[in-house]
Amino acid sequence: MGLSNDRIRFNVGGKIFETTATTLANAGRDSFFGALFDENWNLSQPEDDLFIDRNPDCFAVLLDLLRTGDLNIPANIPDRLLHKEAMFYGLINHIRTAKWGSFDGNRLHLSRSVTGIAPGDGTAIRAGPDGGCCVAHGSVVHVFDWMLEEHPTINLDYQRVNDVGWIDSGNIVLSACERLGRGGGGMGLFSSSSGELRYKFQVSHDNQIKSYSAGALSFSPDSKIFTSCKGRSNEYGIGVWDQITGKQIDFFYESPGWSLGDADKLQWLNGKNCLLVATLFPRKDNCYISLLDFRDKNMVWSWSDIGSPATVDEKRVRDAIAMEESNSICVVNEFEDLGFIDLRMYGGGSSVRWSSRSRLMKSKMPDEPCYPKLALHEGQLFSSMNDSISVFCGSDWVLTSRLKRSYGGSICDFSIGGDRLFALHSEENVFDVWETLPPPII
Amino acid sequence: MSNQKKRNFQIEAFKHRVVVDPKYADKTWQILERAIHQIYNQDASGLSFEELYRNAYNMVLHKFGEKLYNGFITTMTAHLKEKSKLIEAAQGGSFLEELNKKWNEHNKALEMIRDILMYMDRTYIESTKKTHVHPMGLNLWRDNVVHFTKIHTRLLNTLLDLVQRERTGEVIDRGLMRNVIKMFMNLGESVYQEDFEKPFLDASSEFYKVESQEFIESCDCGDYLKKAEKRLTEEIDRVGHYLDAKSEEKITSVVEKEMIANHMQRLVHMENSGLVNMLLNDKYEDLGRMYNLFRRVTNGLVTVRDVMTLHLREMGKQLVTDPERSKDPVEFVQRLLDERDKYDKIISTAFGNDKTFQNALNSSFEFFINLNARSPEFISLFVDDKLRKGLKGIADVDVEIILDKVMMLFRYLQEKDVFEKYYKQHLAKRLLSGKTVSDEAERSLIVKLKTECGYQFTSKLEGMFTDMKTSEDTMRGFYGSHPELSEGPTLIVQVLTTGSWPTQPAVPCNLPAEVSVLCEKFRSYYLGTHTGRRLSWQTNMGTADIKAMFGKGQKHELNVSTFQMCVLMLFNNSDRLSYKEIEQATEIPASDLKRCLQSLACVKGKNVLKKEPISKEIGEEDSFVVNDKFASKFYKVKIGTVVAQKETEPEKQETRQRVEEDRKPQIEAAIVRIMKSRKILDHNNIIAEVTKQLQPRFLANPTEIKKRIESLIERDFLERDNTDRKLYRYLA
Repeated sequence: MGLSNDRIRFNVGGKIFETTATTLANAGRDSFFGALFDENWNLSQPEDDLFIDRNPDCFAVLLDLLRTGDLNIPANIPDRLLHKEAMFYGLINHIRTAKWGSFDGNRLHLSRSVTGIAPGDGTAIRAGPDGGCCVAHGSVVHVFDWMLEEHPTINLDYQRVNDVGWIDSGNIVLSACERLGRGGGGMGLFSSSSGELRYKFQVSHDNQIKSYSAGALSFSPDSKIFTSCKGRSNEYGIGVWDQITGKQIDFFYESPGWSLGDADKLQWLNGKNCLLVATLFPRKDNCYISLLDFRDKNMVWSWSDIGSPATVDEKRVRDAIAMEESNSICVVNEFEDLGFIDLRMYGGGSSVRWSSRSRLMKSKMPDEPCYPKLALHEGQLFSSMNDSISVFCGSDWVLTSRLKRSYGGSICDFSIGGDRLFALHSEENVFDVWETLPPPII
Repeated sequence: MSNQKKRNFQIEAFKHRVVVDPKYADKTWQILERAIHQIYNQDASGLSFEELYRNAYNMVLHKFGEKLYNGFITTMTAHLKEKSKLIEAAQGGSFLEELNKKWNEHNKALEMIRDILMYMDRTYIESTKKTHVHPMGLNLWRDNVVHFTKIHTRLLNTLLDLVQRERTGEVIDRGLMRNVIKMFMNLGESVYQEDFEKPFLDASSEFYKVESQEFIESCDCGDYLKKAEKRLTEEIDRVGHYLDAKSEEKITSVVEKEMIANHMQRLVHMENSGLVNMLLNDKYEDLGRMYNLFRRVTNGLVTVRDVMTLHLREMGKQLVTDPERSKDPVEFVQRLLDERDKYDKIISTAFGNDKTFQNALNSSFEFFINLNARSPEFISLFVDDKLRKGLKGIADVDVEIILDKVMMLFRYLQEKDVFEKYYKQHLAKRLLSGKTVSDEAERSLIVKLKTECGYQFTSKLEGMFTDMKTSEDTMRGFYGSHPELSEGPTLIVQVLTTGSWPTQPAVPCNLPAEVSVLCEKFRSYYLGTHTGRRLSWQTNMGTADIKAMFGKGQKHELNVSTFQMCVLMLFNNSDRLSYKEIEQATEIPASDLKRCLQSLACVKGKNVLKKEPISKEIGEEDSFVVNDKFASKFYKVKIGTVVAQKETEPEKQETRQRVEEDRKPQIEAAIVRIMKSRKILDHNNIIAEVTKQLQPRFLANPTEIKKRIESLIERDFLERDNTDRKLYRYLA
């Protein structure tokens, strides 16, 4: 095909467009255009315009997307219409990748706030791998795709959801409380698009299947699911399942005087091949943080504030996150003071090194305080406090940005994933979507 | 709900449901169905992709996804059923070609259908978790064509038949074969494995079972291995040409099992051509082939190695225990070296220098060399022979090679101290008689022994060399200080340090007056320069050159031993002497005297004396006169003493005894060393450690060790533990 033959004329819904086969090749083989120009469909009449019975305005936007890689949606075109057209042409993934840039905590802007119908008090929000998210409220989980369209709700029939997590963009795992006298509870795998239960994870002790309450969740890259478990007959500990077979493959029993089954937070550490388990105040009177090695059933590291002087109760650990690169665990108290525990010494040298950045906020605490939460993403540390999220960077964790929005009340949970940050507010059922802008033109 | 009573009436929401033309779905599907037919009939040029895509899209959009999906499956199934009938109808050779042709058509059609149904693939199938269009198309082909009863076995048999024909030398269409096999692979790994690979492997196994049986009945081992190797390369080749690369390991293991593993023993032990035969005839190529093939199967190399080891031990045992061979120690050792060279070469050329084979070779040599208790003596004699004369005219490099080989044999010896004993004796003889050819070679060997066994082993040997050197200097000093001695007999004295040299009881002997005067002069000179020393004459070890004139005026220079000199000098003063007179005059011990007289009077051509009566043996009543008729074409005549090259039985016993004596202090030293560091040790461990520590020198006998322990206990170096009698304690 010569250079001149590269030109293509389309008649889309009555409007003529001229472009080149090269531009359209950007759509990829698995798209309308890819198939259209495949040699199987020898395009017989190149002199005629190719007619496509679709919306010309949207076609213009999509054609520009193929030409420049940028997405510019004129005000008169609703997102939904454009997305539908993109679905027709098989270009929906092009839209998604063009819509927001790769994540950078210091360049975030508020893209949307999504209001729901529940009256607040959300349990958790979790970002999905492709930019969607799910929000747990009591016994229901609302699922949103990356277009922020809501999918059928996952309803657990009055069992309280403790944690949720994405296995992939099509599957969500829920951990729920056991209901006394009813059994149930535990952990289940649900379809994110239809909300149907696909699989229920079982726990067995001494080859007998037992009912249990599942708490915090974590996933490892080699397809394992971890959750903290409380069994009816005091079988407390951490259960491990294989994501692919759904079978229980391990169980780490809680040792006396230590807490695992009540854990608030689990975090898989890939480099150390260990699981961080943290049980925190106020679920228990004391904080217990430990690293578990499942290969030899060994607690390789642990720290607790048992025996710390009672006068420092304002230094109570409310959340913890392991930072493998700096070999430490970052903790936060209810005044958003950051502290660090050394992972290289057993027991962390038994003390938390609190940073001096104390903001005296006791006086202006809001009516309904939310305890701080921590997240780590590619070397940036995030902590939520009341109605804002702080971003810390660099080796000495300097505050570099603060994300804040005026309504919805305190932030009760937030999550980063699919290059987006989702923040869930506690007073009204609203969550914010923060995105990084596409890179600048030059 | 608690407010049920309030629900008196309900207002139904007014739903204006948009009803799509009920025939819409059918109509749209008919368009698509027709298109699918056209695609399969290769009549797609008139089709508009845009229209078909839009229709499929609309069906999904209007919730007719299921109808579309099922319709696609039904239509495709019908088409494939038809195709399979066409394929089935193809006769003979065209069967595979037809199948391949239809498979290509199906692939193209499937791709086009997937293009049309792309929207359904992405949305409806995705959300319902059904099988996607492309894999579904492959499954339908598998179920309706490949697994179609009238095709399934016929296809497999055709393929297996083609492979069989290729194995028997026919040329087949490998391209077509590759395409059809590739179809199996595309249908999924399990299809390839179940429908082709497994039966293929079974058939191959059967084929090679029969063939290997045929070969083994008709071929010798070498030919069989050649054929097996050829088959193996053929199969690997086949995988490269038209099978899945993962099959290589499986098919080679079939060939290996059927052709090698199952016949391993028979091949190795094959009469007149098996491993032993190859080894005997240095068939490097066959051996190399056997090694490479046997390496592929479990226990293959172990079998080869075991047979080689057994053969080596058997051969070696015969070699070292054959009394004929023991007659000539030099040849005995040379044979060992030759065998060693032979197997070294086999291992390096045919067995890829395999370490385990080298180890087997070494352990075999170690095994049989030590079967003959005289091996240490023979090796020393071999060295003696080489260093006396064998190395003349050989380049330094080659000397080194010979010495290195000797060292290798030396390493196999368990009784290294016995070797040392003999070596010392032989070295002493060489040095004293001035027979050593190359000083350099002597020293080189000592350095090698030193690196092998340590300083202690060679210190005395080195002492011998030092003595020789010092003696030279002493002689120069002696004659320097006695210039008047330049006339008359010349005395050359070698001063030997007691202990460094093999001790022999100094035999008293009366020297002729001329000589004993000189000796006295030397004694006073030597003791004058070195105080506190004692000299004693080892007259049994000396030699002398004397000039003699016989009755008819023939002059000769006789090279004789000191004893012989003493005897001959007596005849300066008398013509006839009886045995008794000689014995009285010289005081040479009877056995030595007899030997010495025997060599003077009974050896043909060298009989400077005449014995009466004439006989081979010397009797006490014999008498001797000078043989006036002595004649020799040489001026210089060497009168050898009748010396046994090899040790006689009593001498051997004596050496043995000396060795045992020498071992005692070494064993004791080892025990004390070990106990000093361990303090307490039980009997078995002591035995083990002592044996280990002494290994480089000799193999200690446990009973001897036990005796030494007893002796040390008696002398209060050790004591037995009071409670456990098996424990020994070290007493500081």
